[in-house]
Amino acid sequence: MAIEQQAEFLQQIPPFGLIDPSDLRQAALSMDVIYLPTGAVVPLLGDEKSSELGASAYLYFVIKGVIAEESQGLVVGRYSVRGYFGERNVLKMQNATALLKSKEMANSDSVFRVSEEAILYRMPAAVFLELFQHYEDFQQHFNTNIVDKLNAMHHAVQTTTSTEVMMDTVCSAPIQPLVMVSDAETLQVAIQKMVEYKTDACVVALHAKTSFNDPKESGKANEVKYGIVTSTDILKLIASGHTELLQQDLASSGLANGPLLTVHEFDYLFNALLKITRFQVDRLIVRSDTGLVGFLTLKDLMSLFANQSGLALLKVDKAESVNDLHAVAQQIDQLIENLNRKGIKTHYIAKLVNELHRKMIRKLVDLLLPEELQAEVCLIVMGSEGRAEQVVRTDQDNALIFSNELSKKAQEQLEIFADSFTQAMITIGFPACPGNIMLSNPVWRQSQSQFSENVREWFDHPNHESFMQIAILFDAEVVHGHSDWLLALKRKLQRRMADNPIFLRHFAKAVIQFETPVSFFGGLRTEKTSGTESIDLKKGGIFPIVHGVRCYALECKIQPTNTHWRIKALIDLGVFKESFGIELGETLNFLNTLRLESMLKQVNQLDSEIDSFSDVSKDARAVPNNYIDVSDLSHLQQDLLKQSLNVVETFKKRVTKHFKLHEML
Amino acid sequence: MLAWLNGLLLRRQKRKLKEPGFEFLFNEEVPGSYVCFDCETTGLDPKKDKIVSLSAIKIQGNQVLTSQSLNLLIEQEGLIAAESIVVHRIRNIDVVEKESSSARLMTEAQAIKEFLEFIKGSTLVGYYLEFDIAMVNQVIKPWLGVNLPNRQVEVSALYYDQMVRLAKRSGQQGLQQPNIDLTFDKILHKLKLPNLGQHDAFSDALMTALIFVKLQQDRN
Repeated sequence: MAIEQQAEFLQQIPPFGLIDPSDLRQAALSMDVIYLPTGAVVPLLGDEKSSELGASAYLYFVIKGVIAEESQGLVVGRYSVRGYFGERNVLKMQNATALLKSKEMANSDSVFRVSEEAILYRMPAAVFLELFQHYEDFQQHFNTNIVDKLNAMHHAVQTTTSTEVMMDTVCSAPIQPLVMVSDAETLQVAIQKMVEYKTDACVVALHAKTSFNDPKESGKANEVKYGIVTSTDILKLIASGHTELLQQDLASSGLANGPLLTVHEFDYLFNALLKITRFQVDRLIVRSDTGLVGFLTLKDLMSLFANQSGLALLKVDKAESVNDLHAVAQQIDQLIENLNRKGIKTHYIAKLVNELHRKMIRKLVDLLLPEELQAEVCLIVMGSEGRAEQVVRTDQDNALIFSNELSKKAQEQLEIFADSFTQAMITIGFPACPGNIMLSNPVWRQSQSQFSENVREWFDHPNHESFMQIAILFDAEVVHGHSDWLLALKRKLQRRMADNPIFLRHFAKAVIQFETPVSFFGGLRTEKTSGTESIDLKKGGIFPIVHGVRCYALECKIQPTNTHWRIKALIDLGVFKESFGIELGETLNFLNTLRLESMLKQVNQLDSEIDSFSDVSKDARAVPNNYIDVSDLSHLQQDLLKQSLNVVETFKKRVTKHFKLHEML
Repeated sequence: MLAWLNGLLLRRQKRKLKEPGFEFLFNEEVPGSYVCFDCETTGLDPKKDKIVSLSAIKIQGNQVLTSQSLNLLIEQEGLIAAESIVVHRIRNIDVVEKESSSARLMTEAQAIKEFLEFIKGSTLVGYYLEFDIAMVNQVIKPWLGVNLPNRQVEVSALYYDQMVRLAKRSGQQGLQQPNIDLTFDKILHKLKLPNLGQHDAFSDALMTALIFVKLQQDRN
């Protein structure tokens, strides 16, 4: 019977899913269905007659249609399918000491008006209050802070949908037993152990004086050290003919490689896969809080992913042409959608996607750049790509730094490369940068010293454009080539900043350039165009956070480019209180998630429009914008958006105070 | 004239009533109070088939009072026809009271008695109501000596009138009879009402009630 449908309907609305099925059914039984035409006002209190008998208030759930919440003539919220409202009223009334007063209180509150004819479920206040008192976690939902609410939402999405293997934890994968020997043992013993446990690698516990093959790592820290010997190492050794080393102890033979690449047993599997592909190894050592656990091999990992989207990661390596990469890019789009649907935080999705993008760019360099030039250049990605925050490919910001000693002829070759590179990027699906910040533009394809000169130029002639260029260069990361070249540029940038504190203050001014779209009363301020109410998330929330954090990072000389890592570093430095930093990070995550969802929707729409307009613009990929349609958001999302924008506002005030922006206006 | 004739017929019917306890059926209720009802049956022939389940929901103005609905399952002597099972998905083994369901299982006589007490003198609302009424009449005629005297509203007829009115207003009238699709799903779709998908007595009654409420509202 349909009573179950009503219960199911309730179950899907957080936090009603927390309630036991039997109690939920009782609650569902108490609900009536109300139809209201457009323009009607939803009565929060019962009929005039019944309210005389004792105020009866209601909680409403939207089955269909849209309800707008109005306060003092402004629309402050919208509720569509599965949104609910009236709970504030009910809770307020419960707190009101005198029952007689409750009616006045309700009247002074918002008005709920039907903006698209609506069918609603109506639940009596008494039923809701009983649940409220009976279930502690249910109750908490109505008085928690924003971080908890966001986590609860992510958790809710994650538990309701089936899991993607990518998001399982490492310990759920097949882990091979740990084989460990002391470095006092010989290689022979290690091999015997490997045969015994049927593994192809062995961890070597290193004592005191052992030195790694890698000189860079050997000097680090004094912890208990481990190295690793793999079957490949043994094969190489035999091939080289130095078989006498078999009988030597591992400490002096120098066969063990270190340091170990480890992954925590509770980490996501996709992080493990990322690590494996980034360092181009075949296995990771799984660690727990107490020690090492075993091996996670690429082979086992891939068997888990089977036909899944995770394969895209490996296909990049196998790509042999621009077209292959284009195919991978399309798989990435699919992956983004899947991960988002599963409630994965946008920060993680961005991390994965950007890792893939960089691999694609690296591959492209391999394919297009003549080999003799590969050691002469440094290719960097900047802006959102540099910060690893671009999820949907909206543009490309990249540049090429080349060696000072490059001949004229080689430079011409580079020009040809640059043009074909940019063209290939567009083909793959990175739209051209509207500001032409691409290496096909000679301004962004210069020698080390010319770039250095540019930086000086930007500081000597500060204007809007040079500010922007400094910002995007400061967020740059190397994808191919000499990372020290970029580092030198960034050092110079930071030095100039430090020499000239007033410059940073001007630079920071952009944080408060756009107004936060919240009204004085805490409602959303939307832009109305052709009937839809929308908010520019980038201007309104994302940019102020990203740029504000960037300014702090410049001031504190923080190296990481990703905003979340910068926030983390600022917490570690004690610049941000931990609670504030986490709130800021979660807020950014939420805004990015909203933007991602809106962009995915736009891409799907635009793509289908392009399809229907025949082949004219077959290559043109739709570029989505930063706007979100407020009426698309659920009640919870709107609520969170309001709170998020309040966090943005608080942060702006902080930046204003810290960089003394008011004195400069 | 018509009202007078109706009144006369009603009074004649009332005189035939065998059980005085059910006189309330003839007393008209508060105006604006309706009951929407739907039954699932063993087959499509009111003469020999039986009611399997019955749902009735009160409607007051724009409110569909699902919290005061009546949901009954009726004990069967015979078996439910296979073709009917396909429609309403009530198999023979489903005619038992379940903890998870709000429907109560009882004998036909008990069920109809509860139904009559639930509807009292309300106007009945339904989709192809004639059939449901006939199913009920088949039980009460031999017992009470009368058919259901309640006023009836057929939603498909309401819908038809509405569509004709809209067509006229938009100037599409012509000599041709407008071709209006009266299937249940089509009506829901056209009126932008949610289709609960499931075809059981309660869902059908609820959707029918929404159609009624919406058409009622549009007329005003």
